[in-house]
Amino acid sequence: MVVPCELRYTSDHEWSRFHEGRVRMGITDYAQDALGDIVFVLLPEVGSRVEQGGVLGEVESTKSVSEIYAPVAGEVVAINGSLADAPEKLNSDPYGEGWICEISPVDSDAYSGLLDAASYEQLISG
Amino acid sequence: MSAPERSPASAGAPDHADAARRTGFRRSPLEAEHVTLGAKLVEFGGWLMPLAYPRGTLVEHRACRSAAVAFDVSHLGTVRVEGDGAFNTLQRVLTNDLRKIGPGRAQYTHLLDDADASVVDDLIVWWTAEEIFDVMPNASNTSRVREAIGGTDTTATRAVVALQGPQARRLLSRIAPDAACVPRFAVGSFTWEGASCTAAGTGYTGEDGVECALPVEVAGSFWRAVLETGVVPAGLGARDTLRLEAGLPLHGHELGPGITSLQAKLGWVVSWDKGDFRGRRALEHERRTGPSRILRGIVAEGRQPLRDGGLVHHGAQIVGTVTSGNFSPVLERGIAMALVATGARIEDGDEVVLELRSRPVPARLAELPFVRPGTSASRAEVA
Repeated sequence: MVVPCELRYTSDHEWSRFHEGRVRMGITDYAQDALGDIVFVLLPEVGSRVEQGGVLGEVESTKSVSEIYAPVAGEVVAINGSLADAPEKLNSDPYGEGWICEISPVDSDAYSGLLDAASYEQLISG
Repeated sequence: MSAPERSPASAGAPDHADAARRTGFRRSPLEAEHVTLGAKLVEFGGWLMPLAYPRGTLVEHRACRSAAVAFDVSHLGTVRVEGDGAFNTLQRVLTNDLRKIGPGRAQYTHLLDDADASVVDDLIVWWTAEEIFDVMPNASNTSRVREAIGGTDTTATRAVVALQGPQARRLLSRIAPDAACVPRFAVGSFTWEGASCTAAGTGYTGEDGVECALPVEVAGSFWRAVLETGVVPAGLGARDTLRLEAGLPLHGHELGPGITSLQAKLGWVVSWDKGDFRGRRALEHERRTGPSRILRGIVAEGRQPLRDGGLVHHGAQIVGTVTSGNFSPVLERGIAMALVATGARIEDGDEVVLELRSRPVPARLAELPFVRPGTSASRAEVA
């Protein structure tokens, strides 16, 4: 499983990247593999506010549905609208084209509190 | 992301890494082949079976609609009923009429509950030879079926490989021509590595194909030879989306306790002119009064997979419940089958709203099956 070292992670198998004041997030390679073929993504609305760990949306594969949680509290400032017609990007490129949304965090320190790659790798191999 | 919540209609849980280490499941004679191919194995009907191979359910599904796939369906039961009383036993117990067929033919039929005509199991009878019937129940119903019809459970002696898709026969003919030419709903024999095997022109995808039963000793070499012809291995995930597109019932969803053959729109498997059979009296009552609900198709406006248990709203009324739902890879929309009240008087094409996890999903009633073999939709990938 690919776990890029420059990203941060949650124990809910989501990745986050802090860039220019925003946290971009998606689901990890491990998560997409566990879900199987992803066929639908319910995205949050731009402008909505979420708590850390609050529900952002849903990811559905042919076999199951999972909720997506906010890695940090804040306001949703961008969504990856291309997932509406091409949710398979979450399988083919979970850390790139398959990003889900960007959050403007209430507290920029929240990002540094997330798991680093080594800790996440340990979590999924445990 | 929350731990994936398994849809009740789906064929497996995602914790596949642990599955192979679990014990207490029945194992397919082809399990080693699946492990070599990198399949995700899941529990299904008490068996550990492939959910999907590394290319995934969608690729497997489309390969079946456009070319050919192979499923290991060794988990289906086989109960052999033989001898001079076999014909009469099956005639008295099962709904369909064996007089419509003969030796060398296969028939889809139901076993009903005597008290309320619920479908205890739906099964295929392979009339293998004059006084030999191989009855194939669903995995979890094998013992119930055997209680009703007697016979010997021969499930452990054979593997069953289902080849399905428009190219299945052509590719199979390269390695087993006698199996490849068994006509639809016929049963024939062929030889593989000196072993006597059975082939039937049956399946569960809506596509043409052949199901082959082989002694376990030669099953692995047959499976490998099939894949070498270019047939794509496919798991239970694709089997479920394929049968759903084809409008085929799954026991425990469209059939089961409280659901009759008539409600499932399978009245054609009930032969009223053959005399008594188990459940006849209860089903005759429903036939006279008319079923209160009937199986209908539903297509969502969008891609969201429909899921079983979802409530069907029409205007201010709740008119039905989804029995199976998922995503249709051919239509690229959510689809479902649902038991809908006959009193609701809604037509195919009428708008309904599905309530899924407390949210409304716009959809329309639709004719079953959603996809027919040979239509442009299911052949889109060929061109």
